[in-house]
Amino acid sequence: MSILSLQNCSIKFGGLVAVSDLCLEIEADDLLGLIGPNGAGKTTVFNFITGVYQPTSGRVVFNGKDLAGLKPHQISALGIARTFQNIRLFPSLTVYETVQVALRKNIRYGFMQAVVRPNSLFQQEREINETIKEILNFFGLLPYQREMATALPYGIQRRVEIVRALATKPRLLLLDEPAAGMNPAEKNELMGLIGQVREHYRCAVFLIEHDMKVVMGICERIAVLDYGIKIAEGIPREIQNNPKVVEAYLGEKA
Amino acid sequence: MNRHRSKLVLLASLVAAGGLSFLQPYISPYYFQIIIYIGINIILASSLNLINGFAGQFSLGHAGFMAIGAYTASVITTAMNLQPGTTLAIPMFLLALLCGGLIASIFGLLVGIPSLRLKGDYLAITTLGFGEIIRVIIQNLDFLGAARGFTGIAKLADFFWVYAFVAVLIFLIYNLIHSTYGKGFMAVRDDEIASEAVGINVTHYKVVAFVTGAFFAGIAGGLYAHFVTYINPSQFGFLRSFEIVVMVVVGGMGSIGGVIVAAILLTILPEALRAIAQYRMVIYSLLLIIIMLARPQGLFGGGISIKRFLKQNPEQT
Ligand SMILES: Nc1ncnc2c1ncn2[C@@H]1O[C@H](COP(=O)(O)OP(=O)(O)OP(=O)(O)O)[C@@H](O)[C@H]1O
Ligand SMILES: [Mg+2]
Repeated sequence: MSILSLQNCSIKFGGLVAVSDLCLEIEADDLLGLIGPNGAGKTTVFNFITGVYQPTSGRVVFNGKDLAGLKPHQISALGIARTFQNIRLFPSLTVYETVQVALRKNIRYGFMQAVVRPNSLFQQEREINETIKEILNFFGLLPYQREMATALPYGIQRRVEIVRALATKPRLLLLDEPAAGMNPAEKNELMGLIGQVREHYRCAVFLIEHDMKVVMGICERIAVLDYGIKIAEGIPREIQNNPKVVEAYLGEKA
Repeated sequence: MNRHRSKLVLLASLVAAGGLSFLQPYISPYYFQIIIYIGINIILASSLNLINGFAGQFSLGHAGFMAIGAYTASVITTAMNLQPGTTLAIPMFLLALLCGGLIASIFGLLVGIPSLRLKGDYLAITTLGFGEIIRVIIQNLDFLGAARGFTGIAKLADFFWVYAFVAVLIFLIYNLIHSTYGKGFMAVRDDEIASEAVGINVTHYKVVAFVTGAFFAGIAGGLYAHFVTYINPSQFGFLRSFEIVVMVVVGGMGSIGGVIVAAILLTILPEALRAIAQYRMVIYSLLLIIIMLARPQGLFGGGISIKRFLKQNPEQT
């Protein structure tokens, strides 16, 4: 059974149809790529999967559950995590605290206990601390734990953002142009990281990317969006040789 | 996280407040009054810091919550005809303060709801309007004394109770923001979209900040009323709210210690500058501008930059 299913999803902004009648299935262990020219509607697809926008029509079904009307934080709780095209880290939080925020749903206490601090709170905070250390260590971020996340080099910021998403224990990870702005060495590191993620976290990955080397290198399947319409879907080799795709990218109108 | 340290500090502060209150007869009433105002202003500024500094919701209506707490508590103690020194005085006074805080926090909830939709300047203007509405309503309510004011409030607030609430509030904020739960406030302040994406319920945090902040502003109002024994609506106008905002901005938004120090300094400053007291608001405005330009993270640099409030977070992902 597929973990995410987009069924005839469309979204309009005023007169503009940003995504039109999109159907897409992602399996639980997929690594699916989404490509398309600028303004094709790729980020918009992520936005309506994660509840930032509601699709104008169509259904988004995650793990058998219709996501209609759910808020982004509820969708996160169901197991969808994402990164943003323009990195959105918390400017006043350290790397450690950034991951801590993402572990918020692991705690079982509320406002009152946070204030009066019963013993059970310390137990939970200790567990959170261990989890943070473990995650940071696994992704090589332990040396940066006390640094402000937004003060780090670009490549590391991207990594922190991915790690923050993973800390929520997603079953589906959405990455919006993770390689943008990276140098070749950082891109290689990123590809390694995504491999690591799939092995260790066993989540499906849905990836928007402009860099063809990255997309063709790691994706098992690729979908192509042009003016909000899915014009192709298949394995990388098929996509590379698909005349419609070539046309969309070269901007030729027949 | 050190298990008992914050509780020990709270206990020590309460004992110290109790001990120091015996010094009252040896201090001139003028200085004593300033010391009480300092405590009340620490409560006001720190509770606003929770809303403005930690949760990032720029509120300009704090005096409104203060007024609600002041009038509610005063109505209760006056109706019961509480006299200082009687057996019932202290427990009933505390009950009246709590009622004032609770009613204020209900209004905090009502004001918090627009904060779910409004951001930045719009929220600031809405909360400013709220504060003014409260003042105007009180001004027209005869049973509250209308514009003449509310007289004959028993002098029940003393050094101990003012500083006990200071200690409790600081304890609360400190513990809150050092917990995993409390980090959510800062995340919401920094980036709502990113917060939601990692499962943070932004609505919850904004409402909790407004309700808690309003509660303590209400307590501060009750303490103030039962110290000065006479209140009138003009004590709770926009200028009062503005004063509290200046304390938070000068101290550094989101800095616990900075805001306390700023509340102390800005309570003493106008007293020290009695001669030019009529220019107080001019001085405050200049101070605000200077801080914004030269020390956007507060006088001591411990807060988040006020400039972040002046530019909006991008809505586009
Ligand atoms: N909130 C919005 N309001 C109005 N129009 C929007 C909104 N969000 C996106 N759009 C429009 O929808 C279209 C698709 O935008 P989207 O950001 O999804 O493209 P994209 O494929 O991610 O492009 P890029 O490769 O540049 O990131 C664009 O024309 C964009 O201007
Ligand atoms: Mg995009």
